[in-house]
Amino acid sequence: MTFSLNVQSLIKNVGSFIVFGSFAVGAFFFSRFLTAYLLEDVKIGLFLFHRFMSMLLFVFFITISLGNMVVSYSTLYRSPEVHFMLTRPIPHLTIFIIKFLDNFFYSSGTLFLAGFSVLLGYGSYFGFPWHFYLWVMLGVLVPFMFLAGCTAVIILLVLMKLASKINFKMLIGLLALFYVVQIYLYFHLTSPIDLVREVMRYYPNVNLYFGQLDPPVSNYLPNFWISQIFFFYATGNQTAVAGYCALLLLSTAAAFIALVVAGDRLFYSTWITSLTFKSFSIKKFEFTGTLFSFEKRSHFSPQNESILKKEYWQFLREPSQWIHLVVMLLLVCTFLSSVTSMDFGLQDPKLRTAVYLVVYIFDAFLITSIALRFAFPMMSLEGDAYWTVRSSPLSASKVYWTKFLIVLVPFTLIGLALAVLSNIPYILLSPLPQVTTAGMGFIAAALVSLNFGLGSYFVNYDEKNPIRIASSQGATLTFLLSIVFLVVLVIVFFFPILAVFNSIYYEIPKKISWLYYALAVIAFLSAVVGAVSHSIGVKALSRDV
Amino acid sequence: MIVLQNLTKKFGSFVAVDNLSLTVPQGEFFGFLGPNGAGKTTTIKMMTGLFTPSSGSIVVNGFDVQNQALEAKASIGYIPDQPFLYDKLTGREFLYYIGGLFNMPKKKIQERVKELVEHFEIGDWVDKRTEEYSQGMRQRVTITAAFLHDPKTIIIDEPMVGLDPRSARIIKDSLKQKSLEGVSIFMSTHSLEMVEELCDRIGIIKDGKLIFIDTKENLHHHKSNYDGKLESVFLELTK
Repeated sequence: MTFSLNVQSLIKNVGSFIVFGSFAVGAFFFSRFLTAYLLEDVKIGLFLFHRFMSMLLFVFFITISLGNMVVSYSTLYRSPEVHFMLTRPIPHLTIFIIKFLDNFFYSSGTLFLAGFSVLLGYGSYFGFPWHFYLWVMLGVLVPFMFLAGCTAVIILLVLMKLASKINFKMLIGLLALFYVVQIYLYFHLTSPIDLVREVMRYYPNVNLYFGQLDPPVSNYLPNFWISQIFFFYATGNQTAVAGYCALLLLSTAAAFIALVVAGDRLFYSTWITSLTFKSFSIKKFEFTGTLFSFEKRSHFSPQNESILKKEYWQFLREPSQWIHLVVMLLLVCTFLSSVTSMDFGLQDPKLRTAVYLVVYIFDAFLITSIALRFAFPMMSLEGDAYWTVRSSPLSASKVYWTKFLIVLVPFTLIGLALAVLSNIPYILLSPLPQVTTAGMGFIAAALVSLNFGLGSYFVNYDEKNPIRIASSQGATLTFLLSIVFLVVLVIVFFFPILAVFNSIYYEIPKKISWLYYALAVIAFLSAVVGAVSHSIGVKALSRDV
Repeated sequence: MIVLQNLTKKFGSFVAVDNLSLTVPQGEFFGFLGPNGAGKTTTIKMMTGLFTPSSGSIVVNGFDVQNQALEAKASIGYIPDQPFLYDKLTGREFLYYIGGLFNMPKKKIQERVKELVEHFEIGDWVDKRTEEYSQGMRQRVTITAAFLHDPKTIIIDEPMVGLDPRSARIIKDSLKQKSLEGVSIFMSTHSLEMVEELCDRIGIIKDGKLIFIDTKENLHHHKSNYDGKLESVFLELTK
């Protein structure tokens, strides 16, 4: 037996460990700091704190559900591996369950890590015993995520069953509408602004339980059960904790049984349908516009034109690509429609700064998610046909920069639009909106650069599924680096923005120069992130293929 | 013209191509033979810029493939062993795409596509997406793409995979015609019949080393030492 040390692999693994470890530690401290800040400095009270947690968990549930649905569609219905396995004497239910579990654990690794680190931070603030974390991780967090995954795949099976009967475009429209309406109804019914006002009327007795303010529909939502488990654990009501835990576990078990039954009855028949559905979708999604026709002349150089048009048609003719983008943009629009009309009527400068930064960072987080999903896999999606590029008379850097521009321009514009619209409630606080919007331009460009550059470095021409590429180890590392970058942004912007709100509250002159210094730091950091990412990315494209 | 000098490619400690030197003059049809894993595809990938050599040099049509990569590639038409295409493009779009990468004017692409689609009998398939193509149709489109910009050198890795006899005949005739027009052809293949029929000179590689190189005429002399079959010469040399 020989032992050979692959230095590159070792460096990569050590690097991964450092980044994952740093992320876990960062998430722990951030969670602990945020819990302490909200409960001690801002004094929102235990009830509001756990209701905000419930809202975040609702978004978390929807994200897991959507992610599992899209990944499951690709792996259950579009994968050559499933195609091959179905030709072997293996029961289709076994294939279905194995692929479902594979999807779930493959795409949830980072979320488990993030969830556990946040949980540690939250629990350590309250000084909970060690067994709390073990129990919550295995008995609460994992079942919650599993419930989201099961629900998503049951919906997917039903959709695939309906796909043979209903117009596909209408079906996708209905699905998108279903998610948007869910989000709208949830925030409409729970009404966070009214909730804050109602609870604050009882100040300073804000640690009491205000269950009468919860809409009845909340009782049916898993995110609500979890927030109740944490609230009652923190307030020492063990009976209520046991009740909500039992409800969650029973619901998860029921969802899994329903999934198995649905998989047994629907998977094979819908898989057969999907074979005809593939050719159906080709015809239905035949984009035949002549605007970007290859035969038409353009002002670009022939090489740039070829790459641009190829990317355009490949994107538009792959429904899983543009449908996912449309769904993500719908979520962005839903978020924006809520943010632009958001006014908590808050006066406290620290709380206003926190709310402002949370919205601002969430804008950047949306760009991170979009960049990870679309910019990161871009080079890998060249696939086996990449030989055409490498054997043609154009340099690797030209390919790199042309493809980079394709993602840079739209995603930076989305970032700017998010920043402009999120700043509507602060329009009178000039130059805060202008500075943070300009900052978002730099941030979005850096995030797209990071995802595209590292996507080129971790390129995998063998993987055809963009969602699996965006869930790979390299993608997870990139995502964590993006989060670290966002945390740095919070640190850079916190005091200058706090100074703006302080100047209003205490009626003192604004320290405008602080904002400009922060913008300069953001611009510098973004340039460094961009330069390093591009340097790594371009160099990686010269590797053997 | 192709000149390989002391060409070596290592993957870790494994030497895939070992100090390979050979010259293919302008207009020659060169057949590159060897058992599986001998280093044929690795050599071709280095010649087309897909692999970087560990040492040695490759000069194609007067251009060093490493230092003047763009000029060298512009003069090469490459046909890989697997005809991978962009599934969502039609054959015509793929050919326009390749024409663009080779900086060809639109009018020229249009003329060449029309001419070559007819020549390789691609027909109406040219306007269907390549994901609907058979292996043979993919191969025809790949070969069309390699011919599109009238290269001075054609490098082919296993050209007959998936082709029916009629398509194979068209490809063979086209390659021979190109060779007669002065185009250098470097062809890797397992088909001994094809080598005998088309090539002017033959090289055999084994374990990354060139173990035989000679003209077709001299090869007949070698064959007479065995049972008159190229297969026997090949099997003996690569034993």
